[in-house]
Amino acid sequence: METFRIDNLSFTYPLAIRPALAGIDLAVEQGEFLLLCGFSGCGKSTLLRHLKTALAPHGQKSGQIDFNGVDLQEVGLREQSQKIGFVVQSPEEQIVTDKVWHELAFGLESLGYDQQTIRLRVAEMASFFGIQNWFHEDVATLSGGQKQLLNLASIMAMQPEVLILDEPTGQLDPIAALDFLQTVKRINRELGVTVILSEQRLEEVFPLADRVVVMDRGKMIAEGLPLEVGNQLKKQEHEMFYALPSPMQIHAAVVGDLPCPVTVREGRRWLDQICGPYTEAGEPVAATSQNLSRQEEVVTLKEVYFKYEKEQPDVIKGLNLTVRQGEFLAVVGGNGTGKSTALMLMSGLLKPYRGKVLLNGKAVASIPGKERFWQNLGVLPQDPQALFVKKTVMLDLLEVLSDQKLSEYEKELKINEVATLTEITSLLAMHPYDLSGGEQQRAALAKILLLDPRILLLDEPTKGMDARFKRIFAAILQNLQSGGVTIVLVSHDVEFCARYAERCALFFDGSAISVGEAKEFFCGNSFYTTAANRMARHRFPQAVTTEDVIKACNTTRP
Amino acid sequence: MQYDATVTNKKTRTVLTGLLFLLAVPILLAVGVFILHDRSYYLISLLLIICSMIPFVWLFERRKPQARELVVLATLIALAVAGRAAFFMLPQVKPVIAIVILAAVCLGAESGFLVGAMTGFVSNFFFGQGPWTPWQMFCFGLIGYLAGVLVQSGWLPAKKIPLCIFGGLATFLIYGGIMDPAAVLVAQGYLSWQTVLVAYGAGVWFNLIHAVSTVVFLFLFYGPLTQKLERVKNKYGLLDG
Amino acid sequence: MKDAFSTYHPLVNFIYFAVVILFSMFLMHPVFLCISFASAFLYSLRLNGKRALKFNLLFLVPFLLVMALLNPLFNHQGVTILFYASSGNPITLEAVLYGFAAALMFVSVICWFSCYNAVMTSDKFLYLFGRVIPALSLVFSMVLRFVPRFKAQICVITRAQACMGRDLHSGNLWQRMKNGVQILSIMVTWALEHSIETATSMKSRGYGLPGRTVFSIFYPEKRDRIFLLLFFALSVFILAGFACGIVFVRYYPALGFTGFAPVPVIFYIGYLALCLLPLIIDLVEEHQWKRFVSIT
Repeated sequence: METFRIDNLSFTYPLAIRPALAGIDLAVEQGEFLLLCGFSGCGKSTLLRHLKTALAPHGQKSGQIDFNGVDLQEVGLREQSQKIGFVVQSPEEQIVTDKVWHELAFGLESLGYDQQTIRLRVAEMASFFGIQNWFHEDVATLSGGQKQLLNLASIMAMQPEVLILDEPTGQLDPIAALDFLQTVKRINRELGVTVILSEQRLEEVFPLADRVVVMDRGKMIAEGLPLEVGNQLKKQEHEMFYALPSPMQIHAAVVGDLPCPVTVREGRRWLDQICGPYTEAGEPVAATSQNLSRQEEVVTLKEVYFKYEKEQPDVIKGLNLTVRQGEFLAVVGGNGTGKSTALMLMSGLLKPYRGKVLLNGKAVASIPGKERFWQNLGVLPQDPQALFVKKTVMLDLLEVLSDQKLSEYEKELKINEVATLTEITSLLAMHPYDLSGGEQQRAALAKILLLDPRILLLDEPTKGMDARFKRIFAAILQNLQSGGVTIVLVSHDVEFCARYAERCALFFDGSAISVGEAKEFFCGNSFYTTAANRMARHRFPQAVTTEDVIKACNTTRP
Repeated sequence: MQYDATVTNKKTRTVLTGLLFLLAVPILLAVGVFILHDRSYYLISLLLIICSMIPFVWLFERRKPQARELVVLATLIALAVAGRAAFFMLPQVKPVIAIVILAAVCLGAESGFLVGAMTGFVSNFFFGQGPWTPWQMFCFGLIGYLAGVLVQSGWLPAKKIPLCIFGGLATFLIYGGIMDPAAVLVAQGYLSWQTVLVAYGAGVWFNLIHAVSTVVFLFLFYGPLTQKLERVKNKYGLLDG
Repeated sequence: MKDAFSTYHPLVNFIYFAVVILFSMFLMHPVFLCISFASAFLYSLRLNGKRALKFNLLFLVPFLLVMALLNPLFNHQGVTILFYASSGNPITLEAVLYGFAAALMFVSVICWFSCYNAVMTSDKFLYLFGRVIPALSLVFSMVLRFVPRFKAQICVITRAQACMGRDLHSGNLWQRMKNGVQILSIMVTWALEHSIETATSMKSRGYGLPGRTVFSIFYPEKRDRIFLLLFFALSVFILAGFACGIVFVRYYPALGFTGFAPVPVIFYIGYLALCLLPLIIDLVEEHQWKRFVSIT
């Protein structure tokens, strides 16, 4: 039976010129795991929100949505609340109450269940999700991943028939994201709940899905089994193709008629098949000594120790790191390894209790704020919204210059220049909170760039960004770099770092345990590396990006 | 401000709460004088305060507020509490009253009262409850209620300068005026003119700083906060159904 | 370690503190005051450890002395004149004693409140009022959820602003004030915009449907009933003592109160038992546990 049947659904937001959804036809089978992907602004969220009346946006709608064979409009709110579970991107905002147990019970309370039933359901869910250990905790003490699991559990406690997830892992680090997705798969497999999920990072989720739908500009542009979608997109030469898992991209670029691999494991097998018998293991490249360029050091950390409170353990332990003039350094590593703290130490907002942090040879914390952050250091915080003050992007940018003695004309000139560079010219009249995540990130970057930074420190700038925004963002960074700006970027995004950074540092346990040229760095790691490298390293140890692998494949094929 | 059916509804409710308020006070005073023979000032005043708050709570519960309204109230209260915590190292510099007044101006007298009273209550969960909690709740609530009523009835223009004046006066006269004698009452168990005067004398500087900080906060906050609340109200159709 | 009384039903906790605090406020009999203060002091030590000792000694004791000495300056009732102040007003022994009693009362109330704060955590309070005032209780719960989040966000914003060269530690007072308000202003936008998603999440989970129930993880047990029974019996007994005039106190015009005759002493013991109930329970349970461990 079909859980949802969508017939010719179109939707236009008030005052919008172009429809957000145009003639969507889609049926979702009961028990299916459907993956919805597409760039941000393609209409994924709009479509998903139409599947629950309480969340449906206001605007002009036509077409029909049936839930279990009944028009969704006819399905009562109570039934919808119970049967259609919805989880959105931000783990924080969905949580209403202050205690884990209360949050788990929230939906059941709304539905009016009695004490005993709620007790049982909550207990069941806590056990299924492994929440019992933090059942009595305050929500504030949980990590982002735990919060998102709590959201999922509190929905599942209502025993929904269908679970709709709108980019649920966008704000999570890779390990928490994987954990979350595995849990969703478990719900789908063990409880038979229909899952409709939209995602930006496709590497992990593609193998889990039964069917994939790709959207663009409010239309469905590809649909089918995960392994079929790649070729459909390739044929259309659609940009979304570059968001697909690396093995699929590689497969599509290499001539051959073998079925498309989706996971790294399948990719390896496919590679062996296509490249003929396995002859000689390529020598894994040993991390060579650091290529000490002659560029001068701009930021130096010398045996730095730091902890937030006296009684707490060290967050940074004996960290040594140098940043050279004009380079693009990426700092990678797991959660809680001190990456972001190191960035704050570099900015001088935190002071080490032992060791030195130098900016152009001077102790950074001793430089007064005005001097330190004007034509010197620029820091892009993880949450771009921490920078927005005004009601339009333009006013927000003007606000940065309010301290400067510039004429109106000069200010405008400067803002135009920065806006062009960050590609936000068309967004200047909008409210910062009406922008998408990637656009907000760029608007925030524009604010920082108005301060004319020579060294740019970025904390997780690609979090929640889609593949297209990432490429635009990378181009902006490269543009800045060619203008002589030094870039230090902290990220979980291995693929992004491998593609764009020049040098990488791996953080573990409060210090940089390995630093090297990006390529050598990733070739030397066996786990902390790109999917393309993991897939092909036994044959082409030097290949890091998908392009590298494709090139190697095409040249070495018999 | 937009006037429609819900606003008139709100108006009758405001009048009703006012009436209840006016009835409860004399009754309790009478009870105090005739039954308890005026011995237990603290108990009487405590009961008085609680009774004055019940109608607001009752009316709020009775109309089953929507999720959106609850969230906006909770957000404002939490902002006031977090604001109080953010300035905790500067005693008497608190944005609480400014936020309460602005909440009342934007959302009405009832919401103003609730934001005020709840702020008093919740912030003491972080700073420690004590015998002063009910008084604090009452003072913040009363200021919010008054601001709302005065603005709704047109006595107080919802503009920056009048609100600043109102805020300063309310902080000094209402908050200081009630909290100082309350402190005496809590500590001594009874009130006399001399002790109250001494309390006022000792508190005058604190109250002055508090009042000035409220004026400053209102001055700087009036524009941003009202704009932002209006935006959220418009964008998400908050509070109108 | 959590004390035993904290594990009792929230209603029991609440009633106990409400009554004990009211008793401490109104029973101005010196022996009763001392009993209340001593018990509150001990219990706060049990609950908060060293922190309580520091607070009690550094803050409460000096306060007690100051308050006691202030009263006679403003109150000239009483028949036993000690001397005349420079203003010509008499300083009376009764006023000094009353001042001391009032200060003791205040200090014990504060002490009881510190115990209350440790025992009556927010979730217990929510449980008590969740049924009576569901909507406001939910607001309360949300506020408790928001406040730590907002505090953290204020830190994030402060840092981000410092990186724009706008910190709270440089520039003149007006500049700093402006930067401070800028931070709060960003905070307000953030909080309001993000609150919308919370409301959506509530609606999505059926908030606003008729017939909402309230779930809790607290269940009354037999020991709660026994405690309440015992507690009520003691309270009524003590009130009866005062009502019948068996125990009394009078400060003006001349001090008079029941001393240590056998009958009043019974009431003192009753009150002592009442005030020490949480500690007694704690000791008993600890003893039981030790025995239990030694047996197994």
